[in-house]
Amino acid sequence: MRRALKIYRILTIQNLKRLMEYKADFLTGAVSFLIDQAIGIAFIFIIFSQIPQLAGFSFEQIVFIYGFSQIPKGLDHLLTDNLWCVGYFIVRKGDFDKYLTRPINPLFHVIAETFQVDAIGELVVGVGLICYSAPNAGLCITPLSMTLFVLSVPFCTLIYTAIKISTSALAFRIKSSGYIIQMVYGMNEFAKYPTTIYSNVIRLFVTYVIPFALTGYYPVLYLITGEDPLFNIGGVVIISVLFFALSLMVWNQGLKAYESAGS
Amino acid sequence: MKLNKLKRQYIPFMRAGLQTMIAYRMNFLGFVIGGLVYCFVMYYLWKAVFTSSGGATFMGFSMTDMVIYLFLSNVTGQLTFSSASNDIGEEIKDGSISMRLIKPVNTDLSYLATELGCSLMKLIVFALPVIVGLEVYRFCVFGMVEFQPINFLLYLLSILFAYLISFRVNLCFGFVAFYVKNLWGIGILKNSIINFLSGALIPLAFMPEWLKMILEYMPFASMSYTPVMIYMGKYDVNEMIFRLIMQLVWVMITYALSRIIWIGAVKKLSVQGG
Repeated sequence: MRRALKIYRILTIQNLKRLMEYKADFLTGAVSFLIDQAIGIAFIFIIFSQIPQLAGFSFEQIVFIYGFSQIPKGLDHLLTDNLWCVGYFIVRKGDFDKYLTRPINPLFHVIAETFQVDAIGELVVGVGLICYSAPNAGLCITPLSMTLFVLSVPFCTLIYTAIKISTSALAFRIKSSGYIIQMVYGMNEFAKYPTTIYSNVIRLFVTYVIPFALTGYYPVLYLITGEDPLFNIGGVVIISVLFFALSLMVWNQGLKAYESAGS
Repeated sequence: MKLNKLKRQYIPFMRAGLQTMIAYRMNFLGFVIGGLVYCFVMYYLWKAVFTSSGGATFMGFSMTDMVIYLFLSNVTGQLTFSSASNDIGEEIKDGSISMRLIKPVNTDLSYLATELGCSLMKLIVFALPVIVGLEVYRFCVFGMVEFQPINFLLYLLSILFAYLISFRVNLCFGFVAFYVKNLWGIGILKNSIINFLSGALIPLAFMPEWLKMILEYMPFASMSYTPVMIYMGKYDVNEMIFRLIMQLVWVMITYALSRIIWIGAVKKLSVQGG
């Protein structure tokens, strides 16, 4: 464990050094994500200029959900961005050999290799929106609710990571799975708004099948109503751990099927 | 004679585009499904907005209008999508652009022909089915056929203009690769800006009056909003002609702009190794 942390630190420092080398790139990435988010917010603003509340939620509450949903997304983006490359080209080009020849866990190595600072854009927007909307969102704040709420963040992040691990692992069998990651990951759009606006089938789908609703709506619902922590927070913990375990299985199975690109 | 030569030179590029689409069809399917998921999220969001506002129309749009707007914007976006900025950026980075430059063809036109091949494929396998679907939906809602062949033909014409503008704007973004390496970040930035300014995310009609005025005259509106409005029959004859002319003007302006940048940039181009 300590060895893993040490390796992670060394790789991350390397990453940050590279970052200093390409400052303009870092700025472009972070600013791009910032603007992308700002436009999402402008959209909510324009809608709420016409209606006082949406599906029973006030403007501040919707902004809070939106902001919170960006934090697990950003954390996952910050830490595990290299999985995209596994899906898109690392396996296809046979570059995955590199990870197999080193004396550390390949999955750990893949994840540790990239520290994607572009994600700062999402994190800044997420925290900013939460700070902006929290005072008027009518939250039910007690020491217990705050603790549980903050505790849910790593588990929400785990859901993103689990989905990315299992979809990128498909590349071991079909060579390139970038488009599948894209397709599944794109469903995080559902996390930005209350699930009550969707039809029942979709609600069940984004809660249990591709559980992105758990990364935004449910934890916030708990903070707003203070009710049902067993499902709103406990459900997140259980489902995320379950999905993570499942994704590790898919990954390990996939690893056995990996064959290099030859030549 | 000249036309024949053009045909002989560029048809292979077009065929290559078509073949790429077929070879990477799963990739394309991924994007299509991603786009449709987005449409459905928006559909439910708007449904909630309509329910919450209590009226049958929201700022001049009925729910049926909104559904057609959403899906048609997505289709239009797919058809006018240009990956020129990525392709040219990659070629500048890895130096393979030199292979394109030494061929006896016009560089822009070769990109254009390849992409037209892709768009043709998208039109047949994706856009037409969605449009048929939308018309069936309209038929179910109104109980009669609302399809206007004239509007559809004008929509196709307008999409062609929209595509040409999108292609040129993309080309300009692609030249940014001469200066920055984070093409992926630039891609996100470009997409979200175009999505917002072109009205694909939210109809320009919903924007504050002053913003709407500005955006309607910018090239972005010509890239998605104009064709969709034409299809939906939201413009009268005079306005339609005016909008089409404006599109044409933007085609010319963006063409000139990308040429100027290109001529400047190609002088700076240095390819390492080979």
